[in-house]
Order: sequence, then structure tokens, then C-alpha cells
Amino acid sequence: MKKIFIYALAGFLFTGCTKDFENLNTNPTKLTEVGKREMPFMFAKAQSSSAMNRSFYQTVQNLGADLYAQYFATSVTSFQTDRYVTVPDWQRRFWTVVYVDTAPQLRAILDNAEPNSGEQALAQILWVYSFHRLTDHFGPIPYFGAATPETVILYDDQDVIYDDFFKRLEQAVTDLKSLPEGTAVFENYELMYNGDVDKWIHFANTLRLRLALRISAVDPARAKTEAEAAVASGVLTSNSENASLAKSLEGNDTNGLAQVAAWNEFAMSSTIASYLKGYQDPRLSKYFQPDLVNGQYNSLRNGLPPASLALPRNTSAQNSNVGSYWVTPSAGTFTPDLVARFHIMGAAEAYFLRAEGVLNGWNMGGETAQNLYEEGIRTSLSQWGVSEGDVTNYINSTAVPVAPGDSENSPAVSNVPIKWGEGEAIQRQQIGTQKWLAIYPDGMEAWAEFRRTGYPAMYPVVQSDNPNLPSGEFIKRLPYPLTEEVSNLTELNKGRALLGGPDNVATRLWWDID
Amino acid sequence: MKRKFTNKVSILKVMLLISFGILLPFWGLAQNVKEVQGVVLDQANQPIMGVSVGVENGTEGTTTNEDGRFFLKVPDNAILVFSFVGFESQKIPVEGKAELTVTLLESQKELDEVVVTALGITRNTRTLTYATQNLAAEEVNEIRGNSGNIMNNLSGKVAGAVITPAATGPGSAARVVLRGNKSISGNNNALIVVDGVPLDNSTRSQATSTFNSYGVSDGAASINPDDVESINVLKGPSAAALYGSRAANGAIIITTKRGSEGSVAFNYNGGFSVEQPVLLMDFQNVYGRGNGGVADPTGAESWGAPAQTYPDNVKSFFETSSSFNNSLNFSGGTEKIQGYGSYTNNRNGGIVPDNALDRNTLNLRVNATVLPKLTTDAKITYLNQNIKNKPRQGDTGTSMGTYIMPRDMSEEELKDFEGVNPVNGEPLRKYWTNSSIFDNPYWDVYRTSVNEERNRVTLLGSAKYQLTDWLSVMGRYSFDRYEDKETGSFYDGTISLGSVQPGGQYYERFSTFSERNIDVLVTGENDLSADFSINYNFGAAILNRTSQSVQNMANGLSIPNQFNLAFATTPSFAEIIDLNREMQSVYGNVQVGFRDQLYLDVSARNDWSSTLPAPHSYFYPSVGLSAILSDMINMPSWISFAKVRGSYTQVGNDADPYLLSQLYNFSLGAQEGFVNRDATRAIGNLKPEETNSAEIGIDWKFFNNRLGLDATIYKSNTKNQLLFIGLPMASGFGRQYINAGDIENKGIEVALTGTPIEKDDFTWSTTVNFSRNINTILELTPEITQADLSASTRMATVVAKVGGSYGDLYGRGWKRNENGEFLIGANGLPVMESNMKLGNFNPDFMLGWANSFSYNRFDLSVLIDGRVGGEMVSGTDSFLGYYGIGDYTAEWRDGGLVLPGVLETGGANTTAIDAQTFWTAVSQNGRDAWGEFFTYSTTNFRLRQLSVSYNIPLENTNLIRNAKVSLYGNNLFFLYRGKATLDIDGMKKRTIPIDPEAALGIGNYQGVEAGLPPAVRSFGLNVKLSF
Repeated sequence: MKKIFIYALAGFLFTGCTKDFENLNTNPTKLTEVGKREMPFMFAKAQSSSAMNRSFYQTVQNLGADLYAQYFATSVTSFQTDRYVTVPDWQRRFWTVVYVDTAPQLRAILDNAEPNSGEQALAQILWVYSFHRLTDHFGPIPYFGAATPETVILYDDQDVIYDDFFKRLEQAVTDLKSLPEGTAVFENYELMYNGDVDKWIHFANTLRLRLALRISAVDPARAKTEAEAAVASGVLTSNSENASLAKSLEGNDTNGLAQVAAWNEFAMSSTIASYLKGYQDPRLSKYFQPDLVNGQYNSLRNGLPPASLALPRNTSAQNSNVGSYWVTPSAGTFTPDLVARFHIMGAAEAYFLRAEGVLNGWNMGGETAQNLYEEGIRTSLSQWGVSEGDVTNYINSTAVPVAPGDSENSPAVSNVPIKWGEGEAIQRQQIGTQKWLAIYPDGMEAWAEFRRTGYPAMYPVVQSDNPNLPSGEFIKRLPYPLTEEVSNLTELNKGRALLGGPDNVATRLWWDID
Repeated sequence: MKRKFTNKVSILKVMLLISFGILLPFWGLAQNVKEVQGVVLDQANQPIMGVSVGVENGTEGTTTNEDGRFFLKVPDNAILVFSFVGFESQKIPVEGKAELTVTLLESQKELDEVVVTALGITRNTRTLTYATQNLAAEEVNEIRGNSGNIMNNLSGKVAGAVITPAATGPGSAARVVLRGNKSISGNNNALIVVDGVPLDNSTRSQATSTFNSYGVSDGAASINPDDVESINVLKGPSAAALYGSRAANGAIIITTKRGSEGSVAFNYNGGFSVEQPVLLMDFQNVYGRGNGGVADPTGAESWGAPAQTYPDNVKSFFETSSSFNNSLNFSGGTEKIQGYGSYTNNRNGGIVPDNALDRNTLNLRVNATVLPKLTTDAKITYLNQNIKNKPRQGDTGTSMGTYIMPRDMSEEELKDFEGVNPVNGEPLRKYWTNSSIFDNPYWDVYRTSVNEERNRVTLLGSAKYQLTDWLSVMGRYSFDRYEDKETGSFYDGTISLGSVQPGGQYYERFSTFSERNIDVLVTGENDLSADFSINYNFGAAILNRTSQSVQNMANGLSIPNQFNLAFATTPSFAEIIDLNREMQSVYGNVQVGFRDQLYLDVSARNDWSSTLPAPHSYFYPSVGLSAILSDMINMPSWISFAKVRGSYTQVGNDADPYLLSQLYNFSLGAQEGFVNRDATRAIGNLKPEETNSAEIGIDWKFFNNRLGLDATIYKSNTKNQLLFIGLPMASGFGRQYINAGDIENKGIEVALTGTPIEKDDFTWSTTVNFSRNINTILELTPEITQADLSASTRMATVVAKVGGSYGDLYGRGWKRNENGEFLIGANGLPVMESNMKLGNFNPDFMLGWANSFSYNRFDLSVLIDGRVGGEMVSGTDSFLGYYGIGDYTAEWRDGGLVLPGVLETGGANTTAIDAQTFWTAVSQNGRDAWGEFFTYSTTNFRLRQLSVSYNIPLENTNLIRNAKVSLYGNNLFFLYRGKATLDIDGMKKRTIPIDPEAALGIGNYQGVEAGLPPAVRSFGLNVKLSF
């Protein structure tokens, strides 16, 4: 009797084998290996993330750079970033976007795709696109060690990072050009050009041109080399090549600007209102729409204190939301077009960059600065459906900005006219101003170029609540996220040393010199 | 060695079993079996229920029923042994009598308490080498709160237990931590065991930030308090070594009722209670909507001009709710088979409108003696629980939306929460201001709803065969499965969720969880000699757990507000989570006793877990010793009983599944969709966590047991921690698991029990619990000395830092110079310093004081408890500051506030600011506050329970044989509540605005809250009837 129980117990024990354990411990809803099959999906993920998907657009871009670029001003009291208060958790979110959601996907492709392949080239270009926005917010950042599984990751100086940007772009373009004619990379997966290699080449070269101008004050020689090489290789020249991302209702992949515009917590900034109204700019009705109460194009100043925001004139309902490309009014609220393609970069920008290059004395394809300037305007206006006749009138207009008619009775923000002026100083201002108008709503690029060039002329924020920015000063960068103090403190302190100033909003970046 | 039984062997086995079965009764019959019945009474001639009645040197036995009666078939020369907690055992020879009346005397010499320990093994407390604390059923089924969670009734009653209820309304989960937090990123909750089988107490998701979340019910919320017979808390891991890793945090052993022999008896327990919010915060009642002193009818904040305010507008949103409990059970049986059945219905109302819980529990249990030596126990429990309209927690939650309504908003205006959309006739959200964050709380309540339905079936079957009179074998099978269906509906235009697409949002989430345990246990006891006895258990178990969750989402409804998947604009099948795991174990436990005075206890266990890399195996032992000094040496007569005990235990702990290889996620998006590397880094060489703990305790009784002292000191070290730590974000991994670290917990628990007054008609007994736990993080890794436990950095971050303690809170604060003076900026505002230590969420020590008075048929009980030390960063308060709602914001509105401190450049601050400037700067929209300004001490003392009950005198001939009526109050009021840790000169001293013990969830994200609902006070009436 006892024996039987002992046998039973033994049988029970030894049939309980562990051979099924590996199987049990594999999650069927996840992938544990990624290879060629997953690469296109990973690239698409990196694309969607690097341009701020719905979850990140508001806190990373809309309440930051979009305000600093003075396209928009906040019309509610819920946010203080318009008065230059920074929110460390939002800074962390930008790092999440780049380091967690974008870079690991790109590194996987760079490590595993065929050397010099189209896949690698696209990953290189997107890498540069993603990191240039980050470094232009913070300065020195962990770069070469990004997306490596280390517990300590070094910060790199911005000049070294820029040097790497140029190398990557040059290599990528070379590799793309060596592909057979008509090759499509990541076709049916890629969100911007559906894999069209020619368009990617022009995009990469325009990005290279943008970065060259960014360093044109701090490193003029390198800037010239890179800019001329980029133009020679072929930049964006037509709206048909404009870069924008496909969007989807699925997941978090909706158009971030459309989403936040539906919440209607910001409106047209008086700065852009002064220009658009003064220029009688046909883009006014594209970029913005009449307010809900008075049916007028109304704006408010950046940096209004809560007491001013309490005035009826400054409420969201009495100011202009973004245009119908993003939202349409319905029963007092706004319905977003959540799948509107998301703007990345247009051909107009390339013309303005080249125009500035000509003023720098660079060979920008043999065109004159004026031609390029006017072509930039033409391209931008036609992108928004303005007729050829109106375009010509606009280019020849001597109109200047006007008082926007806001609660602060602001005067005109500047007196710069549209029509190509005499003298380099005004021409640079015109190029800067028109480029700023053309790249709307890309606040990230607009803020970077404002810091570099000082254009367009902007109103100072009405009130700065950041003690490091006395009134009249504009914000120069964002402080590092607090999470770095916890998980990478030693390197953070070295990064702060590279910054060449305190880790606050008043310290200028490497390329930001007068 | 694997042995296959052939058919022949099986037949042989069956035949042997049958022959045993047939022969033994004959052997028994030869001795003239007789039926005996009787009643067991106490000295006051009251029947005692649950007295164990056994035959000396025999296996027969039963317990008395509610009337103190028992029925038993025994040999006519048998000697019956009657024993019960707190009474002297008695032996009575049957001598042919058919009816016995037995009076038990209350125990004077010592308390021979019997408790149920690991694996359902019943042991006399005197033999235990570790600390336990026992609670009777009345502690959990007479006084109730509306959470419906039995764990919340342990607060203040168990030394060393920190109970933190998730403030998520009826059906909410509760965090139960015994002897401090041991695991940095793993589970710190005690294991719950019901009738010898671990109960899944996992929760699918708990708040990990102050952002919005919905509370999820836990396993403990499924336990029906009315079925509970007793609760035994095994505080240290030593107590639970035999349960393996899941019990490393201690165990709460719940024994449920079973049938007893005798005619069928019915019992009814019913209660009714009302709950009301205990509004803790003080509002300013002077200023209305607007900013900077300027009135603004569409303003969100209350920084406007003086206006007519409505002091009770917040209060009027919350409701006085009512809860009903109706429970009926029956028990009865014959000598061979006893049954117990119960049906319980709970309807608990929440203080947030439309929030309620409805729970039905059916329980059936049959105990049978199938063959004289074969006994079986079978139980089936079915539960159906519906939680309706769960309130949203967090900084965009329903409560927060209520707190921040303008002070000049009337109840009527608030209730006007929607209009009609002229386009489609559907509800149109109305909010008093433009906000992408908040909705009118009435919109939250009536136009968004998240409901949870749970169906749970628990099966337990065990069979025990007495091989010889000293050896038995038991096989046990248990199966627990529950299915949760959660549905969420959000009307078109809902803002506060942040992601509701045009037309509205609807989702369904089906989650199933099942757990299967099979174990075999051999138990024996022998007398080795006149002095030495031995008893031992050897067992083996296989535990399987699976869990799966499927969510179908319709974010965007083509027909607006038609809440069904069929109307989805873009249907999506959102996620499946599988958690499949298996553990195989063998274990053994041997106890050697010497003259019933000295006991040595040794146990060992080996586990094989599927979540660990091959060979999947880990081993851990424990050893303990207890000595009854009062029996060993002569002691003064005033010492009635003296015991010392000590034990040393190791417990291993496996990890969550799927950590070994790097995961990549697929998600939908534009074109064909996306794949990304998971933000958590895999750990291929995962090792099991290891907790080593030692404890020494005494259990002494004095003055004829009138005074008792039970004290334990302990120390535990948890090594090879599965740390879930942040990596530099640049690595591309948000987090990773590592095996490292050493967390130490040491502390003391003291329970003092006394009976100061003991007269014929009046008794006062009192218990004081005290506990103190000190936690130190001794080591993380050589490279990492600080890890943040939460990804959220809002208000404060929970940080583990070498040299610090578990639960340290870090955040932004007011910078001081080297002299400790506050630094002020040129703008007159505080200078901010980041990464400053703000506090720790654990209490320094805890006190509980329970009193019960009985006078004739009246009983009065009072429970006062408190916690001293510990801090919480209150996001609720930062919103009250930002919105100009808190009473303290009424001061300095017109300026003139010159903060005390010095300028960074030196010299005194002279810049005057106004209240709005100050509170707006430090609260940072409320959401991202500088934590130090809103940090509060969580020290608090409260009158937790007060009850009066009356035993109605009834004739035994009545239909109703016993009746007891109780009136009670729960969570009545605070005697003391903590203050803000930062005292600002010239500013009002602030008191913590929320319940210091409540939390957003029961995970490791503690110490930071936003939008907790008000604490709830309940008054109730309870009736117990026996038929």
C-alpha cells in the first residue's frame, strides 16, 4: 500500500518535467527576433515617432517650439511655457521620442541591412533628421552611443555631431544614387515618399543644405562646402516632392497638430498675424481661420499673464485657430482631420536656403538671390493653392506688417516689405521672414532659424516667468531632462560642461552666435 | 526515473484500496460503535461553536455547531477530548452514554491556540517558531466599509501590517505590506491563501503616475467576508516557506466555514450602511472665476474678483451612498457527510454619483468521510461582481475635476453639463472654460462610463487517506478562474481622456485568469521515545497560471455615441497579453518536539520556475526553534506562560515571464504598421531573488493570562533583487531588469493584550499593537547608486538610492544656501532646486489600540489607530493652489507677499509678489508642481471603528435561536492629520487635504497622489440571526 503511494508520488514528480518551460516562457504576442521581415515596419515606426505622433506633439512641439517660433500663442491659462517656464517632464518626452521610439529602430536597420543599401541610406537620413531637432533644442547630447545598451552613455559636443550629420547624409545620397533607376525602398511601408529614391535624395540634400546654413556663422568654410555639395547633388525644387507623412487613425499615429487644434487651447500669435495681415497674405486663410465669436482673424500675444488671458478678447473663442487643413468648426467646437498628411519639409524652404547661400557668396546653382527668394515665395503660395496672378502681385507687393489689433494694442512687428529690397541686411531679413512664413507650421525649424538669424522680427513675450530670461530676451534652448540626473548623472555633468554656460534656457547653442 | 503503471498495477491498486476500505470498517464494527451527541457550554451556559470533539487515540472527530451541539459515532469505550481556543481541554469517557453536556472552563494556565498555517496544516501556536496573529470572523464581517475589500478590515489590527486602500470606490484593491517593502520593483503584497490554496491577488494595472487611471479590482476583493471563519496572518517569510516565493512577503491565511454535524442550521447576517465623504480640504470662499483679481466668466481659475461663492459646491457633487449586505448560510450534516452553503449579496454604493458595486457569492462545501480512513473536502465558490461606472482617478479624474470647479459655481450651474448638438441632436459637452484636460464632473459621470464585470469560479477538492494512525497522505486539486469584462464608453466630445476620436469611443476588454494547483502532501507524526516526538510533511506541487487579455477598440464611432464595436470608424484589436507560467516544487518540513516544551522546525523547498533560464531551479531552507520556558523551568506564579522562539529563513523568488529575450512590439499605424524594440531591456541571465530573514520573538502571559505580550524583532535582507531600473534614456531602453542590490528591513512588532477588568457582568479587554520598520537600501550595483522606481517625474519621483530607504521621494524644492536660508530670485519667487529629497512614503511606526467592553448582553468596541512619519506629495493640493481654490490662496491676493529668504546675490528679499504669482509658480499648472511645496506628513490618528452590539435574549424554543444587533461607525474622524512639511512664514499652515493612508493604486508607485476622492466615513447596522 505504502509503496503505491511512493510510486505515485515519484511518478508525479518525474512526469513534471521542465522541458516545456522554454515554450511557456515565450510571449506569443511579441517578436523576439527581428530581421529582414521586420525592417520596413521598424523604419515606419521611426518615421512616425521622429515627427511627433499624437502622444507627443502637444507637449514636445506645440507647447514648446511652436510657441517660441511665435506661430501660435496659448489662449488658456493651463500652460506656462508661453511665458518661458519649462516643464522637465516634457523635455524627457522629447528624449523618449528620439532615443527610445526612433533611434533603436534605426540602429537595428543600420546594423543589419546590407552595407550601402537603400535601407541603410534611408535610416541614415532619418537618423540625421531626428537628431538634428534634438540637438538644436538642447545642445550637446548623447549621440554616438545612442541606442546602445550601456549603463553609461557619453555626451557629444554639437560640432562633432554636426560633422557626423554631414557624413551620414553624404554617404546616404551616394548610396541611393548607386541604386538602379526606379528602385523603391521599403515600398508600401515607408510613410513619406513610399520609397521613391529620387525624392529621398532631394530630401537628404535639402536637409544637408539646412544644416549647412545652420553652422554658417560658426563654421563658414564647412558650411560652404556642404551647402554647395548639397545643391550640386540636387535639392527639392517642386511641391510635388514636398515631404509629408501619411497618418492613420490607428494607434497613436494621428496628425498631432490636428489633434491639439481640436482642443483649441492656442491661437494665432500676434507676430504671424502682423505679417500675414500686413502682407494681405493669401496664406492667412489657409494657415488660420476666423474666430468663432466675431468671425475675424484675431490673434493674441505670446506670454500673456493669466490676468490678461482672463480678458474675453484673449479667449480661444475670440482668436483664430489653425486652418481647415487641420480642423473644421462644428457646433462651437472643432473637428480634426486626424489623417491629414503631416508636413515635414517643403521645396520652398530649399529656395530660401539657397537664396541665403547666394548672399553668403556660395554657388547655389547659378541663380541669383532674388530669383531664389521669389521662387521660394511662389513655391510656398502655390503649395497652398494660391493662383499664379495673386502670386505675382504678392511678390511685387510693398506691403509691410501692420498692427495685429490685439488686446495689447501691439504696433506692427516690423516694417520689412515683401518686395525684394536693396542691401544685404534687408534681403537677409526678407529671406528669413518669408522662409518662416513658408515653413509654417514647423515650429521646431522656425525656432532654430530664429535663434540663428534673428529673423523674423518678433514681439518679446509679454511676460517671462523664467528668472533666467529677463523681459525682452528670447528663449535659447531647453534644459536637460531631470531623468538624466537619476540615470546618467556623471555624463550629464560632462555634457553640461560642454555646453559652455549654465544648463538653463538662456545659454546659446554652439551655432547660435551673432 | 519514470514509471508507467500498467493496467495490472492499476487494478492491483484499486483492489488494495477496496480491501482496505472493506476491512477496516469491519475491524471497527467489532468494537460496538455508538452514537453520541451532546452540547458544549461555557461557564455562563452559553453554547460554544467550533469546539473540536475527538476520540482519544482515534481518528474520529467533529466540531460543535452554532448551538454548541455535536454528533459522533464512537466506540462505546471511547474517551472524548473537547478542546477549543481559550478553554481548558476536557476528556470525558463515553461509558455508554448517548447524550453529554460538557462545560468547558476558560483556560487559566496557558492559551493553547490552534491556528491554520501553511498548506492548511493546523498547528498549536505553542509549537510555532515564528510570529502569527489571529483574527476572528467578526473582525471582518460585522463592520464594513464600502470598498467591499476584506483586507481593509485588517487596518490597525495587525502589528506590522501597512494596509493602503486604493481610493477607487467600491471593489477597490488594497495594498497589504507586512514588515516593510522588500522588493524594489517587484511585488510587495502579502500572499493570500484561502483554505490552503493561494488566491490570485494580482491586479491587471495599477496607477504608475498621477495621470488618469481607472482602479482595477484585486483578488482579495473577491473574498466574501461572510464565509470567513478565521484569518491568520503569518508575518514573516519563515511562516510561509512552504508556499514558496509568493509568500516571501508574508501570508494571510483565510479559513472559510464548513459544515458541521447535526440538524440543519440557518444563519443570517445582514447589514445596511451609509457612506458619506469626509471632506478634508478647506476652500477659499471669497473669490470667483478669473485671474489676477479680474473677473472672467469663462475663467478656469478662481483668482478673480470677490464674488458670491458656494462653500458646499464640491460637497454637493459627492453623494451619501448606501450599502446593503445580505448573507444567508446553512450548515448541517450527518456523521459521514457535512455540508455548508451560503449566498451573499453585497450592494455597495460609491460617493461618486452612479458608481456602485453589486456582488453575488455562492459557496458550497461538502466534507465527507467516504471510507473510514478516507476523508474528502470539496468546495465550489462562484462569484459575480459588477462594478458600475468606476470613477476616474488622477489629475484629470472625476474628483479632481470637482475640486477645481470655480468657487463661485453653484450646484445648478455645475449640473448644467451639456447642451444639444444642433447638427445631430446628440449631447454637446459644456464646460465653463476652454480646457483640453477637464470635463464637467457630471459629464464624467453620465457621459463616460467604465464598467467591470467579474465572474469567478473557484474549485477545491482534496482527499486525505489515513495510511496508518500516524501517517496520512493528501492529494489536493484547486482551480481558480475568473473572467473580467471591462467596457468603456465615452461620448463624442469627451476631452478628459485625451484621445477620444470623433463620434466617441467604445472598448471592450476581456481578461481571463486561471490558476491550477495540484499538490500531494504526506503527513506523519511519531513518538520517537517518551521524550521526543516528530511530525513531518513532505509534498510536491505543480502550479500553473495563465492570463490573457484581449481588447477591442472602437475609437471613433461612425454613428455618434452608438456604443458598440459594430459602429467603429476604425475597429482595432488592440492587444493580447499572455502570462503563462508554471512552477514545480518539492518541499519538506520536519518538526521534532522534546517533552512538549522544545520544538525544532526544519523545512526545505526546491522550485523549478518556467520564468527563469535553465535549469530553472532554486532551493531554499529554513530552520526555527521554540521553547516553552514556563514548562521548562519554575517561574514565579504571576507568569502564566512564557515562550521564546527564533527562526531563520531563506526564500527564493522567481520573476515575471518573458524577461529572458528582447521583445519587439507590433502596432498599427499608417501604411502596414510599425515594429519597435520594447523599451524594457531583456535579462538573459536572470537569477531568482533571495530573501534571508531572521526573527526572534517572545510570547509571554502574566497574571493568569490577564496580560499578554507578544513581541518579535526581525531582520531581512533581499538580495539579487530583480531591479527594474531606469537606464540612461540614450540607451534606447527606458528600463531594464538587473539582478543586484541588497535591501534590508529590520523592525519590531509588539502586541500587548490585557483584560484590565474582568467581572461577572463587565469585561474590558484591550490590545495595543505597535510596529516599527526600518528599511535601508544597502546596495544597488557597483555602477548604479540610484534608480527611479517610476517613470513619472511629475511632482515627485519614487527613488531607490544607496543609503536611502525604499520609498524615498525626490522632486523639486526650494533651494537653500549653506546657512539653510531660502533663496529668492530677482522676481521675488523661490529659486527652484531639482532632485531634492522630499520624504519617504512609509510610516516610521504604527500604533493600533483596540478595546472591547462587554456589559451583560452589550458589547462595545473601539479601534483607534495611527501612523507616525511618512510623507506624501499631494497633487490635489498643487491643483488647489494653482486654481486658487485652497483656503490658503485667499491670503496675499492683493500682493504684499515678501517671501522670507535671501537673494541669490546676497541680501534680503524685498520684492513683493501676490498669491497668484506665488502659487502659480510653485504649482506649475498643478500637474508638474515643485513637489516640496505640496509635501505633507502622513502622520495621522483616527477613530477607525466604533461599534455597539446587543445580544437579544431569546427562548431556545423560538424559531430564531440567536440574534445579535450591532451599530457601528467606520473611519469616523481624524484625531490628528499631518501638516505641510514646508512651513512658509506668513502663510497659513496647511493640513493634508486628502486621506493620508489612501493611494491611487496598490503598486509600488506610492507617496504621490493627484485627485484622490475624499475619504469615506460609514455608519451601519448589522444583524445576525441563527435559526
